[in-house]
Amino acid sequence: MKKLILLVFCMCLAVVVTACSNEQTSSENANEVSMWVHTSNETAEGKAMQSLIDQFNEENEDGYTAKIEFIPRSGSGGGYEDKINAALTTDSLPDVLTLDGPNTAAYAEAGMIAPIGDYISNKDDLLPSIIQQGTYNDQLYAVGYSESGVGIFYNKQMLEEAGIDLATLPTVEEPWNWNEFEDLSETLVKEYNQPAIDMGLKDQSEWLMYAFTPFLWSQGGNIVSEDGTKATGVFNDENSVKTMSFIQGLVEKGYTTKTPVEKGFQTGKYPMMMTGSWTIAEMNSSYPDIEYGVMPYPTSPETNELVSPSGSWQYAMSATTDKEEAAGALIDFLTTTEALTKISLENSVLPAATSVIEEIREEVSPQMQVLINQNAKSAHARPVLPQYPKVSRTFQETISDLTYFEENQDIQKLLDDKASQIDKALQ
Amino acid sequence: MSTPVKRVIEYTFLILLASIFIFPMIWMIASSMKPEGDIYVDMGTIQSFFPSVNPSEWFQTYQDLFARFDVLKYVFNSVMYAVIVTAGSIVVNAMAGYAFAKFNFTGKKFLFGLLLSLLIVPMETLIITQFTVAHELGILNTRLAVVLPMLANMLFIYLFRNFFKAVPDEIIESVQLDGANYWTIFWKIILPMSKPAIATVGTLSFIASWNDYLWPLMVLTDTEKFPLQVAITNINSTPPVYTNQVMAILTLSTIPLIIVYIVAQKYLLQGLGGSGTGIK
Amino acid sequence: MKKFNSSMNLPAYLFLSPALVLMGLFLIIPALMAIYYAFTDYYLLTPDNKQFVGLANFIEIFNDPIFLESLKNIVLFVVCVIPIQIGAALGLALLINKNRKGNIFFKIAYFAPVVLSLVVISVLWLYLLNPSEGLINVLLEKVGIDPQPFLSSPKQALYTIVFVSAWQGAGYQMLIFLAGLQNIPGSVYEASKIDGANKWQNFIHITLPLLRPTTLLIMITTFIAAFKLIIQPMVMTQGGPMNSTMTPVYYIYQSGFSDRLIGYSSAMTVVFGVVIGLITIVQNKLSKGDD
Repeated sequence: MKKLILLVFCMCLAVVVTACSNEQTSSENANEVSMWVHTSNETAEGKAMQSLIDQFNEENEDGYTAKIEFIPRSGSGGGYEDKINAALTTDSLPDVLTLDGPNTAAYAEAGMIAPIGDYISNKDDLLPSIIQQGTYNDQLYAVGYSESGVGIFYNKQMLEEAGIDLATLPTVEEPWNWNEFEDLSETLVKEYNQPAIDMGLKDQSEWLMYAFTPFLWSQGGNIVSEDGTKATGVFNDENSVKTMSFIQGLVEKGYTTKTPVEKGFQTGKYPMMMTGSWTIAEMNSSYPDIEYGVMPYPTSPETNELVSPSGSWQYAMSATTDKEEAAGALIDFLTTTEALTKISLENSVLPAATSVIEEIREEVSPQMQVLINQNAKSAHARPVLPQYPKVSRTFQETISDLTYFEENQDIQKLLDDKASQIDKALQ
Repeated sequence: MSTPVKRVIEYTFLILLASIFIFPMIWMIASSMKPEGDIYVDMGTIQSFFPSVNPSEWFQTYQDLFARFDVLKYVFNSVMYAVIVTAGSIVVNAMAGYAFAKFNFTGKKFLFGLLLSLLIVPMETLIITQFTVAHELGILNTRLAVVLPMLANMLFIYLFRNFFKAVPDEIIESVQLDGANYWTIFWKIILPMSKPAIATVGTLSFIASWNDYLWPLMVLTDTEKFPLQVAITNINSTPPVYTNQVMAILTLSTIPLIIVYIVAQKYLLQGLGGSGTGIK
Repeated sequence: MKKFNSSMNLPAYLFLSPALVLMGLFLIIPALMAIYYAFTDYYLLTPDNKQFVGLANFIEIFNDPIFLESLKNIVLFVVCVIPIQIGAALGLALLINKNRKGNIFFKIAYFAPVVLSLVVISVLWLYLLNPSEGLINVLLEKVGIDPQPFLSSPKQALYTIVFVSAWQGAGYQMLIFLAGLQNIPGSVYEASKIDGANKWQNFIHITLPLLRPTTLLIMITTFIAAFKLIIQPMVMTQGGPMNSTMTPVYYIYQSGFSDRLIGYSSAMTVVFGVVIGLITIVQNKLSKGDD
């Protein structure tokens, strides 16, 4: 019995002792900025960030320093964002943090992050899409440090075998429209007797929002009204119906499929794939035998306006920090041409500023150059809305539902439903 | 039907059944031992269940993986958490199970029902409030925070209770007359008689701790303390994702679980000495 | 404290205390907080700004078509998965609860899916079940059955998840059944052998009744775990196609962590908890309770 009492006593003691001995390890130094990033220090991105921070610690003239903490996220930002949310409930946010583009509005609206426009000296150099994504209520709250882009990747050999002259393929300067895209797909489907392109319709994920909204924007449509209060009358208008009919048609006519084979393009099964800059690194390291090129987004035949997706993770300053000057100096340092160039090159991502494009143009592959050019010319940020997650998910469901063309022949009705769901979220 | 024929049929059936359950594991291991492209080229053919035809490529993936990530550090952390959780969970839950099985105390029925009803709470939805509690306790960013919430588990308490109930009261009474106290009875008599329950709870706790991802990530800020699951997610979500490296880290993370299970199932079998149904 | 005449309260609670303290801290308090949040408009990003909103969240739940659909889905899932999974688990446990050469291999094999990462499992099954060239459809075609859409069909996706879940989880229950089987003294069977009982009679008249506490435990826990289904649809279908595999816990998780509506998601947790609680009580009454 005594032993039992002793054991219980020890356990209680252990809890109490640890409770007292450990408190939040926020930095004591008034000039040291704490920073959380969403990646691991074992990734190229994390390594580049660490070396930038080291450089900042050495070079800063006002004696500011920074301490970076790496919090690897899971697939769609979970993990890291959960941790941010939890830190919020206990008021223990770091001074500087990274956040994904679509979170800007929600974080700014909730008063989690502070406007940082005044601290950024390199502002005019940043791409318009970067400014668009970081701006809420006319104030700059966050700065993206890289860009992302999507194009139509094609297998050169497979296209040639289908009798297509590669010299006639579209470029960023002379893009193509939906009809031409369908014609090419038709030829390839006839030649290979299977879907011509993997458009990533398999998952219901952020990809559907990110990659398919440019079609809507090219047609002149939108998801919500300018002021961000309503979807009905916008998301179910004529432009939306036309765009969605086009997308549904791609599945219905067998040009693409909602159940693509895993890595079908990489292994030479599908001649085309709609995918992003990350695939370039993958092709180089794992599929060096496939010769491929990149084409721009197809445009609406009514407008011929090239629109491509964009978006990235960004730096922002926590609203609760009492080290604004130091935090501002850190973010300013991290968004200089030199720092942005380093991140773009080491992490193989698209550049976020005009000057960086000049810096790296010569050093990247031709495929990457297509995406960089397309990005600089036509990148469109996703809507900056506090209710973004629900809006995005409804859009994803719309695309996913469309691919079930037998069940959803009435596109107008589908869009009416979805628009009213978005309205409900916007209230 | 003669016995050898019967045996052949029995084994054929068992092996067929086994292959239904085991083929993903074989695929995982085979995929970790070939270049990424081959995984998809081989898909759907028998070759997908064999490593690369070129043996020099077998361990290339592992070399790449170790060059990119400090895998050993994560493995060490995970082993430590899992061992502590396993030991702690056995002691904590067995103690509670013993109380429910062999004591008559005020509020027993109520408490048992209450705890049982807590099983219906979906833990996935409580992570933010759990974090708030951990913060109030001041244990954030300590290894204790990873371990403590995983110890008490009503399912395991129930399992122990069922086992302890089967221990005849006469045994307890006889040692009680010899002057043994409750703790001695629990520690020296009851627990040693319950190897199957200990092996079951131990295995399941080990697996649960080993596979836990989100909670450690929430409460830890120091990368040095991260468990293996965090690394897996990291490898699996940092584009470009190399499927063969994902399979390699998953293979590495599966091996300890298989070892634990092999060890535990030996005790499961020995459990009740000579009186079981299939004893050597 | 050597005799039974003294009160058993103190030692009993001392034995219980570690479990009670830990469950109190990490389960009961968080659950009570969730109940409180259910009556507020708690938005995840503004934790200091919660307003009491009475029953507003609860009223909205019953007008939320996705939540109602998810309830319908989960009932269907549970009804299908319980008999399949428990039957398979018991069958496997009986098969390997025997002394034979190489038995250890089968024991490991049948348990393998439990320890495997859901990533491996879902990637592999996604491939096997691929409508255009998955292995399963290749096999079906060989025996003259048309290719099936499986996960990409609103009509079949849920049943596909039933199958994969049972396949993945049966080894877990098998382990608990096995522990229960080991607990049955061999002498009982010997006695019945003398009475001339055959294997089937043994199973019906000895094994099953003696396994009753174990079976009950497995029934309740499998039942509750099945109701809390989230990972498989999350990884394999994201709740689609057309919400046909959306489950309540997945939807609660989405509302809370993606949409950041903690108040609303807590209210759904409460409603969902009450629903499972009621069903569990009814189930318990039907099986005449334990003890």
